[in-house]
Amino acid sequence: MIEKNIFKSDFKSQWCPGCGNFGILEAMKNALAAEDISPEKILIVSGIGQAAKTPHFLKCNMFHSLHGRALPFATGAKMANHDLNIIVNSGDGDCYGEGGNHFMHCIRRNLDITLLVHNNKVYGLTKGQASPTSDLGTITTMQTEGVISDSFNGPLVALSLGAGFVARGFSGNVEHLTRLIREAMAYKGFSLIDIMQPCVSFNKINTHIWYKERVYELDGPAPDSLDKAIPLAMEWGEKIPIGILYRREKTDFTSRIKSLESGSLISRSYNAAAVQSLLEAEL
Amino acid sequence: MAMDITIKIGGEAGQGLQTVGTLLALACRNAGYYIMAINDFESRIRGGHSFFQIRISDRPVHAPHSVVDLLVALNQETYDLHKNELCDDGLTMIDAESSADDSHRVFVRFNEIAKEAGGAIYSNTVAAAACLSLLGASFDLLKTILEKQFEKKSKKILDNNLTAAKLGFKAVEKIQFKQRPLATLSKPKGGLIEGSKAMALGAAAADCRVAAFYPMSPATTILSHLNGYSGKLPLVVEQAEDEIAAINMAIGASFAGVRAMTATSGGGFCLMTEGLGLAAITETPIVIIDAQRPGPATGLPTRTAQGDLNFVIHASQDDFPRFVFAPGNPEQAFNLTIRAFHLAEKFQVPVILLADQYLLDSLYVLETPLKAQNKIEPFIITDIDMKNPKEYQRFKLTDSGVSPRALPCRGKALVIVSSDEHTPDGHITEDKNHRIAMVDKRNAKLPAMRDEMNPPDQYHPEAQILLVGWGSTAGAIQEAVHILREKKLDVGCLMFTDLWPFPADTVKKLLSGDHRSIWVIEQNQTAQLGGIIRGETGIAWTHSFLKYDGRPVYPREIVDAVESKEKKS
Repeated sequence: MIEKNIFKSDFKSQWCPGCGNFGILEAMKNALAAEDISPEKILIVSGIGQAAKTPHFLKCNMFHSLHGRALPFATGAKMANHDLNIIVNSGDGDCYGEGGNHFMHCIRRNLDITLLVHNNKVYGLTKGQASPTSDLGTITTMQTEGVISDSFNGPLVALSLGAGFVARGFSGNVEHLTRLIREAMAYKGFSLIDIMQPCVSFNKINTHIWYKERVYELDGPAPDSLDKAIPLAMEWGEKIPIGILYRREKTDFTSRIKSLESGSLISRSYNAAAVQSLLEAEL
Repeated sequence: MAMDITIKIGGEAGQGLQTVGTLLALACRNAGYYIMAINDFESRIRGGHSFFQIRISDRPVHAPHSVVDLLVALNQETYDLHKNELCDDGLTMIDAESSADDSHRVFVRFNEIAKEAGGAIYSNTVAAAACLSLLGASFDLLKTILEKQFEKKSKKILDNNLTAAKLGFKAVEKIQFKQRPLATLSKPKGGLIEGSKAMALGAAAADCRVAAFYPMSPATTILSHLNGYSGKLPLVVEQAEDEIAAINMAIGASFAGVRAMTATSGGGFCLMTEGLGLAAITETPIVIIDAQRPGPATGLPTRTAQGDLNFVIHASQDDFPRFVFAPGNPEQAFNLTIRAFHLAEKFQVPVILLADQYLLDSLYVLETPLKAQNKIEPFIITDIDMKNPKEYQRFKLTDSGVSPRALPCRGKALVIVSSDEHTPDGHITEDKNHRIAMVDKRNAKLPAMRDEMNPPDQYHPEAQILLVGWGSTAGAIQEAVHILREKKLDVGCLMFTDLWPFPADTVKKLLSGDHRSIWVIEQNQTAQLGGIIRGETGIAWTHSFLKYDGRPVYPREIVDAVESKEKKS
């Protein structure tokens, strides 16, 4: 195991004091250290939003991409070099709103990455508008009469699309979240952790205390049937489960690509003779 | 006497016009002739009206001809639509009961004959055989081609095609056509290639390893060619969920260290403009092919245009450097695609290739063999190139504006990149000095990028009347100049492939000569290149030929336009 402080970034944090992102950042560092993955061995990809700033506060290779586009970017990076170890930091707006289409299709591909969705049920960076996961009726600075759309359930959608690893975590339980991230990283394929977190500035309902009173840890082996997983993904209100909701082995995206069987694209050298014979065969 | 014959085969979508076209093109190419063929079709899978038009000559031809010598009408509509294009000694073969039979029109039952051979599906082979017979071809010329075309199919399919071919030859044995060029054979002049294949091969030869796309006419054929190479080269072609994903996948692949591209048409490029900006601010090399078709929005999906020049030069917010190239023929398409990847890597900028439906879907004889590059220049640094990898800065300020590029997870150097404005180490910043430094750094690449730009191809550039065009109209423009010069008009032309950064100084010199008139020839309504030339050099065009009906430019149309203005003055 490597020292956790190796991940300390000189870049000053830009989050509000008490933000749930701190717990997630901490759990990420714990998990990376425990898994012996040093900064030069990890690539963190993010979209745009408060969650997407995470890799700046952690020593690593990083690509802070566009709003909603972290997943297709990560897909391309994996096609080029499927040995890359990739974590994606995204938010509820970034992943389920702007990037909703990519979220669906990344699950279909079963891209071997770990997706952390920092879900605070509100838009933080743009100051308090509703997010796809805001509950019906929630009053915000923009939705002054209350949200009129039903809320988006990321884990449930992931299950319906056949995701092989679906989990829910809580930023206020760093030790538990660390375990979840380690399990997700060890899983070969697409892994989603939807992480409930408070937004101290813009979400006055789903606070740290609010979650603390409701979350309970799932015990026993992770369910491998949708019959068990779906009710867990839908459980919300008085009691909210955290843990792995579903786990099942599946062939991951780059393992499905025939031309990658002989190694990652980046590991192969240019072959002028092969190109020349192609040019001749095609004419 | 020069041989220059045009055959037009028309019918409904689904009647196998492309097969007829391919067979004719292969036969003429194998017989040692030059060909140039265009595909005209509607955005539908069945019905409507389509045609394939092939020009056969003993001299190189780079544009279609507007006068038809042999019209093959698989239905009445084809005849009604195109009979006026027929020359005086032309001939029509028509598969429709028609009362007005005359010396220029013969009734051939392609469909009935095909049924004899095994089914209506063989009518395209019957039609091809009939054409080749009229042109004087031996049965063996077609037989060899059919055997090769159907070598992977069952013997029955081949046998039926051979029967259909025989019956096709027989059906026209009593009909005379004015010339029988295929009776004389010579060595093939080169391989047969369409623009789309030239670009795909260019990408393969440039060592492109990831191509992500969303299907859109007329770009898709490039990707389907490329897809066929993925078993032979280290290459992955992925169909994305949309064009936004496609360009971001390409950027991700490039960041991770392989050459990557995407291809789309104008509508898809609209969705890619966000990604274009991402490639620009993160200085990630990427090649984008915009296969132009008429717009805006859905426009004319299966037709041709040159309406995206201004768009691609200005797409995405704010200022950043990019290259824009437009090939004029398959050879240029191949070479420019290789150059695009090279320059994208060298300058860490996006490169846009402007093709169009006409270039991509047309067939040409390629005289120069395509050559693989001996090696690919990497433009990448690793730990051993650095004094201290731990201090690596992805966006280090340099005089050239190009920062040494390392790859993620390939050594001790951490690669930190952000789409926000950033400091040299890649972290986000709002500091005004950093902001200015980064904008200046990116734009500092421009002088060296401009040095890479080639002047336009020139043909009698000192002439009194100068025709100026870009991209795929080059063939038509050059032929028009030829015809006009034979008519004793002092005409020359400039044909641009290298469009941006605009080679303003060179162009200014070329246009400052003693020209009576400067014509812009473009397939858009506002003379977009003309506007750029005026803006960059202060020199305005005097006349224009602008065609934006979605159909290719014919040399004759340019000749007529120029003559109508220049003869009077």
